[in-house]
Amino acid sequence: MRRYTLNILFCAAAVALVWLAQAEMLDGYVLNILMLIGINCIFAVSLNLVNGYMGEFSCGHGGFMCVGAYAGALISVAFFADSALFGEALFAPWLAPWLFPVILLGGMAAAALAGLIVALPSFRTRDDYLAIITIAANYIIISIIENIDAIGGPRGFSGMKRTVNAMADVIELPWMLMWTLAGVFVCVLVIRRLMSSTYGKGVSAVCQNEVAAEMMGVNTNRVKIMAFMASSGLAGLAGVLYAHIYGYVNAQSFGLLKSTEGLVMVYLGGMGSISGVLMAAVAFTLLIEVLRFVIPWLNETLHAVNLLPAGYQLDQIWTWVFIPLMLILLMQFRPEGFLGNRELSDVFPRLRRWITLK
Amino acid sequence: MTPLLEVAGLSQRFGGLQALTDFSFQLPERELAGLIGPNGAGKTTVFNIVSGFYKPTAGGIVFDGRRINGLKPHQITALGMARTFQNIRLWNDLTVLDNLRLAHYHRLGYGFWSAVLRAPRYRRAERDIETHARDVLAMMKLTDCANELPKNLPYGLQRRVELARALASKPRLLLLDEPAAGLNSADVDELIRLIAWIHGEFKLTIWMIEHQMKVVMALCRHLTVVDFGRVIAAGAPEEIRNHPQVIKAYLGDEAV
Repeated sequence: MRRYTLNILFCAAAVALVWLAQAEMLDGYVLNILMLIGINCIFAVSLNLVNGYMGEFSCGHGGFMCVGAYAGALISVAFFADSALFGEALFAPWLAPWLFPVILLGGMAAAALAGLIVALPSFRTRDDYLAIITIAANYIIISIIENIDAIGGPRGFSGMKRTVNAMADVIELPWMLMWTLAGVFVCVLVIRRLMSSTYGKGVSAVCQNEVAAEMMGVNTNRVKIMAFMASSGLAGLAGVLYAHIYGYVNAQSFGLLKSTEGLVMVYLGGMGSISGVLMAAVAFTLLIEVLRFVIPWLNETLHAVNLLPAGYQLDQIWTWVFIPLMLILLMQFRPEGFLGNRELSDVFPRLRRWITLK
Repeated sequence: MTPLLEVAGLSQRFGGLQALTDFSFQLPERELAGLIGPNGAGKTTVFNIVSGFYKPTAGGIVFDGRRINGLKPHQITALGMARTFQNIRLWNDLTVLDNLRLAHYHRLGYGFWSAVLRAPRYRRAERDIETHARDVLAMMKLTDCANELPKNLPYGLQRRVELARALASKPRLLLLDEPAAGLNSADVDELIRLIAWIHGEFKLTIWMIEHQMKVVMALCRHLTVVDFGRVIAAGAPEEIRNHPQVIKAYLGDEAV
């Protein structure tokens, strides 16, 4: 029974959220933030597989999300929209809810393949050098996509709203919220199951002593391919969801800043801790939204007490001063993140009576 | 009878350093043999070549009738060879039980999708692995620390865990690299008994590097002595003990 507590809790919360959305008790803004939290959870938990469990420093995770977003968007448009690129829609609109999983899987597969760009060099390099390769991979992916004019190039790509609307035409439901919640569930489930299996613990073995791993029968190259592909594949899932929630993708939104956001969430939560990273993803997303209100308020207050020169306005760009500042403070005072390498049930052993992460 | 392990004309050069020259050796099945020599003589180099970590500059290695030159270490483990390390190499943030579980990696019998989908094949494999790992722990008297992290265990126990991990991979040939290093005299006596018992119980062939003469003399039936990367003597322990070149290598010219 304990095995299912978390699943049941999550499903209950998901049903409640969907019901609230359906009853129009959540406005569009709140709904958007909820979905963004979901995307960030998937993005961060998947990055955690490589940066936390495997101990590599991948800084190009945004690139894989980008591949997923574009691949998902292209499949989506080919399936359900009349476009200059693919001609007439391949399928009737009523098939949209049934074929959406295909779109998700397609995006994930493309992103997982892109993960090979990083997995192959990782056989021979580690640490700083691999980090540089991941940054390069991020840039390569973005500039390739920006230079393909057929998919919009630097103007971005759109048309996915067709699919979303087609789903809503079949049954009026908050479809994207549901897919996002399902995505978070699947992502956490995959990582949890993987890391509690002996097969997945090969990732920890590679992290903790690669020589011993190779000598004791672990095919370290295959473990690395698996970890990078699973990690980027799940980032691709985040990408496809993103593309459909906003109905528009642009390669520039998946640059180093996006990858850095992922790193912030992983290090904020604690490397190798799923619960920590989930908490961090929620906290981080909310923080950015809260700052949207806090900054204008701070601006007014500081002007009221004459601390700011009259001509100077504190604007939203300060978000990116506050957040790095918090990161610096965090690294100073709690470098292991919220939970560091432990799960919530390790920090509060009493929780074990109710839940298990196995 | 063909030997279980046969190395012929092994040489290893690291840049300008000739670490090993024309090393040949045959290890019959069920033998317990020792490899000794002064520090830096090339003993661990031999083990690193045999277990696939280094590619030898020249020479051939045949294990169980099969040439294993150029195989990766994990492939060689899969053929039935396991080893321990001079400086203990355990996975310190995984429990002792997980360390032993991972020793089954080369014959897991399931992959990514089975793990994620919790397929019947996965459940069966994990159950077997867990049972076997716990059996080995019990035999090695480590059941009490199954859920401890190796880094929290005393040094002597860490050595024992490493030995248990090697055994958990169900090897036919066990390479022990200085198993007595860093142990006190009581622990060394215990280790001698343990290795002798393992050798019989698991029907193993053991090849060990050891500095402490006490261990070597008590356990090994055949010794090979290397110095400056060359074999200077080989034979039964009693012969080796009185071999002039061995005494010279260990104690210097004046002692002869």
